[in-house]
Amino acid sequence: MAQNPDARGAAPDLSVQLGPLRLRNPVMVASGTFGYGEEYADFLDLTQLGAVVVKGISLAPRPGNPPPRLVETAAGMINAIGLENVGVDVFLESKLPYLRDRHVPVIVNIFGNTLEEYAELAARLDGVPGIVALEINISCPNVKSGGMIFGTDPAMAARVVDAVRRSTTLPLITKLTPNVTHIGEIARAAVGAGSDMLSCINTVAAMAVDIFTRRPKLANIFGGLSGPAVKPIALRCTYEVLQAVDCPVIGIGGIATATDALEFLLLGARAVQVGTANFIQPAVTAEILRGMELFLRVQKLQSVEEYIGTLDRQCLFPFAEIACGMTDLP
Amino acid sequence: MSKFLEEALILEQREVAQQTYRLRLRAGRMAEAACAGQFFMLQVREGMDPLLRRPFSFHRIHPGEGNIEVLYRVVGRGTWWLSRCAPQTRLNLLGPLGNGFQLPRNAGSPVAIVAGGIGIAPLCELIHRLLASRGTLEARDIHLFYGARSAGELLPESDLEDLGISVYRGTDDGSLGYDGFVTDLFRKTAEEKHIKPSVLYACGPLAMQYHVARWALEHRVPSQLSLESLMACGIGACLGCALPASAPAGSTADHYVHVCKDGPIFGAESIQWHKIQTHGAPPPIFLYS
Repeated sequence: MAQNPDARGAAPDLSVQLGPLRLRNPVMVASGTFGYGEEYADFLDLTQLGAVVVKGISLAPRPGNPPPRLVETAAGMINAIGLENVGVDVFLESKLPYLRDRHVPVIVNIFGNTLEEYAELAARLDGVPGIVALEINISCPNVKSGGMIFGTDPAMAARVVDAVRRSTTLPLITKLTPNVTHIGEIARAAVGAGSDMLSCINTVAAMAVDIFTRRPKLANIFGGLSGPAVKPIALRCTYEVLQAVDCPVIGIGGIATATDALEFLLLGARAVQVGTANFIQPAVTAEILRGMELFLRVQKLQSVEEYIGTLDRQCLFPFAEIACGMTDLP
Repeated sequence: MSKFLEEALILEQREVAQQTYRLRLRAGRMAEAACAGQFFMLQVREGMDPLLRRPFSFHRIHPGEGNIEVLYRVVGRGTWWLSRCAPQTRLNLLGPLGNGFQLPRNAGSPVAIVAGGIGIAPLCELIHRLLASRGTLEARDIHLFYGARSAGELLPESDLEDLGISVYRGTDDGSLGYDGFVTDLFRKTAEEKHIKPSVLYACGPLAMQYHVARWALEHRVPSQLSLESLMACGIGACLGCALPASAPAGSTADHYVHVCKDGPIFGAESIQWHKIQTHGAPPPIFLYS
């Protein structure tokens, strides 16, 4: 392992290679938690980010689900926004230029109700300056058609990715749902159909009820759980996906601190997306980057690449390193 | 107008009515930038539970002193934690957010204000701004209709009557003032005293706002209603705080506005009230588990 003899020396290199993409650092913001970027410009220098994954885009504008759309739960929140968005035309005309002018790499999260819609959308975004990749959303738990239906069946997932692959030359990231029995199977299908990368996880299907009104707390009844509560699920899914495929993986789920982000990188994720934490601390990604840099300095690592995927899979009993030294015990 | 984060210091916290607290915060930038009807998102506690910030309106804004006041009612875990905070506690604010009240253009004509329960919070700052800005209007031509479920939930009389405005109080259980809903008090009083306001302001439960909106539309009186909805970010990113809105002309599709960025102040005509499902009053007890 290369070591920096002086922790106060040159700043560690945070840049990462993510398939065909070279990013200045591995910290992105997750789709649906950062609007179209402009919303956060008062709080954060957007150019600090590895990339911005914008709010999911469909061909036509979508109004979203009826309210209530949101409920807070222990260390998390459940949303049923229903993929409200401005549609691809308004996105290209009014939203994308803001990020493009600031030279922020933009990843566009796309979704459709049919294979044809996915393909048409991908074709519309192909070659548009400023867009560095597409993230294929096959995992939203809050919409009745499309959405998670595509993400729970390996054959369907492959067909969506294939349709998009044929329509664009942009790098493709397939966003996986945790709401399946074997996430590795979906991962293999997506990569087999041409996905360059995977991101995992989307929100966890969830529900909340009110004991006083005796009703569901969301008009949609079900929603997607996110926030710190889902991190252990996300870590498990990321680990399983990394075991199943040999392609870059982006970890998502409950990341609110540098420690959280580093846990995903330790498993082998080459980048992370920060989601719900943006709502609470709009500049949380800058704090995560500062913490990540400090960690690398303390660990005397010159680059984040030296740290990624260095998990030692052998779990030792706590304090084992002390116990192992006690050779004089009977 | 730009939004920002500010570390505020609790100067004073006092219970002023049943489960209702007034919080005075040193927050110089926020006091300088905010206007009546806007709101901010407050992190009630470090850590992950409660996770989300909570929206609060500006009850009073004192730019000269660098202070703001918050009036809130304990309705859940977030506000319960806030009520436990002692002076000198630091709180993180995100704001000022939303559009705020517009003061009436035609000085001299009466103004009606309807407040339901904790909905009085942003209306107090509005009243002070009205009093400060309207030289030709007598204070008594500002008509405040203020109701709550019972007498214990109303702010003390001196807080409002000392301003010289016309205050009409009522309670749902008849324990103080008019016996019934504040919307009925407003409707009857306006009729009996021939009050024809040039603007109608309101804040309170959605069910109350529905009746206020209906009156405003029937009588063709411009209205500014401060509405609320569950929200995560407060800055237009999460899209959680949607309310069904009147669709653009010719459209029959669902259409939503977002309380945080399109509001919280809306005209009665901009909301599709019949599409809002409410459960009425909040539960009488709360479980802190």
